[in-house]
Amino acid sequence: MIKLLKIELKKIVNYKVFWILIGLYFVFLALGILMAEFTLNNWIDNFNKRLPIPLPHITLYFFPDIWQNMMFFASIRYFLIFPAIIIIILITNEFTFKTIRQNLINGMSKQEFLVSKLQVIILLSLIITIILAVIIFLLGVIHTDHPNFSLMMKKIVFVPGFFIQILTFLLFAFFFGFIFRNTGLTIALFTLYTLIIEPVIYYILKIPYFQPNNISPRLPVNSVLKIVEYPNISSLQKIAGIHLQDTVSILDCIVPLIYSAVMIGIVFRIMLRRDI
Amino acid sequence: MESVLSLHKISKRYGKIQAVKVLSLDVLQGQVYGILGPNGSGKTTTLSIMLGLMKADSGDFLWFGDAPSKKSLKRIGAVIESPNFFPYLSAVKNLEIVASIKDLSFDGIPDVLMITGLYERRNSRFNTFSYGMKQRLAVASALLGNPEVLILDEPTNGLDPQGIAQIREIILRVASKGTTIILASHLLDEVQKICSHVAVLNKGQQLFSGKVSEVVAIADCIEIAAENQELLDKTIQSHANFKSLIHSDGKSLVYFTQAIKPQEINEFLFRNGIVLTHLSEKQRSLEKHFLELLQENQ
Repeated sequence: MIKLLKIELKKIVNYKVFWILIGLYFVFLALGILMAEFTLNNWIDNFNKRLPIPLPHITLYFFPDIWQNMMFFASIRYFLIFPAIIIIILITNEFTFKTIRQNLINGMSKQEFLVSKLQVIILLSLIITIILAVIIFLLGVIHTDHPNFSLMMKKIVFVPGFFIQILTFLLFAFFFGFIFRNTGLTIALFTLYTLIIEPVIYYILKIPYFQPNNISPRLPVNSVLKIVEYPNISSLQKIAGIHLQDTVSILDCIVPLIYSAVMIGIVFRIMLRRDI
Repeated sequence: MESVLSLHKISKRYGKIQAVKVLSLDVLQGQVYGILGPNGSGKTTTLSIMLGLMKADSGDFLWFGDAPSKKSLKRIGAVIESPNFFPYLSAVKNLEIVASIKDLSFDGIPDVLMITGLYERRNSRFNTFSYGMKQRLAVASALLGNPEVLILDEPTNGLDPQGIAQIREIILRVASKGTTIILASHLLDEVQKICSHVAVLNKGQQLFSGKVSEVVAIADCIEIAAENQELLDKTIQSHANFKSLIHSDGKSLVYFTQAIKPQEINEFLFRNGIVLTHLSEKQRSLEKHFLELLQENQ
């Protein structure tokens, strides 16, 4: 198992495209996180000019809510799609360069090949989650007046929650990569599905009722997003008297895991049958 | 000699196209076995099947006398179609991946790069290589770990004469050490120069198999003509060593299953009441034989 991962890392470590994309991802993610509060408050300021009673400023970076708030921003589609494209490139490259054939000729089994890609996905998800958690932790320590351990750990469940999100989302990319095999086509179809097709289906399913239903949030991509569905903008929510979400539900995690398990199953079935 | 590879009645079809048709082959240890056929004759499909990339629709095959497995693949060094490597990795890094998959140490990498003349360029990226160098890197990767069998698919395809000579020299050097080599090619000249044995394929069917030296040297073909060509054809077919017959220029080219003396044929026909107007012995090059086989099979 470690041997397979070592081979995969050899393929990745010297691949410039990988480092450029992962670098861009973290730059955009960091900017997004750091700009979130400023942008929202700027927007509130503009809005307040027309209001008799001004809305209070939002604070995103306090423990314990920072875990939920930041994981909410990190898991919006436009950010998640970055590492997904990286995974698609790593998988479809093997077909473009025909290196999958050479790997199999050299004695790697198809199962081992698939497992090696799954290992990369798990590793990448772990690394992204850990780096993100460290950034959030530091941000929280800077912004919270009297941080104590229990306060810090209170909503830490959003960290494993985010891990499930990125893991399952990358597994969808794994599925697309092995089904379509062509880099450009796969990226186009994956992006199209994630950003357009599923949102359209989401609203079509809602139309007859004009109210939230049970199916739309359980569509594959939406089921991933549902794990961290809302940020916790405490002050505003208290004023409005609404309570949206303050933990990660097991059911929300299970749904995308089931989707990805089915997708992995389909990929294994197809790959073991199809000629390479 | 021990059997290295034995294909038994392999068939494979892609939709309407019959790529390989009931193909049986036996490759013995130490042979340099050529699989010869025009483009699209099923050579690469045959290699893909024996390497487990494709599943045959029917038939089976044995490597080293046993059912194929991961273990048997590790005793084989193979390159199919074009050289397949990561373009952004250096020659050495690409070979390290191959070595890791085959559970080999990296110690053998400089050797194979030396043999293929790529040692100086070992740290250059694959996509900076010329086509000839890419082909040689493919041969280098197949040579890693001193495999018992080397499988090469059109290794000189697209190379300039110098590149062709280099690859052939490498193959002959490896063969001289006793490594079994299976070589797919559409070039007769190549098979004639490198191989000890040959199987000729066309449209997935095996037309011929045997020693190259036999095919080249022995006149098992005689051109004959007589007043009554029809009777001649009929009579010659009753000869004990008759194999096949084709017409050309009002004469008949007759193939026999073994070397045959012209006087023997003359006597045989005369005994059967036929007087020949023409009799000539045909020394065939492999090329001619190949074309004849293809024509015969149209």
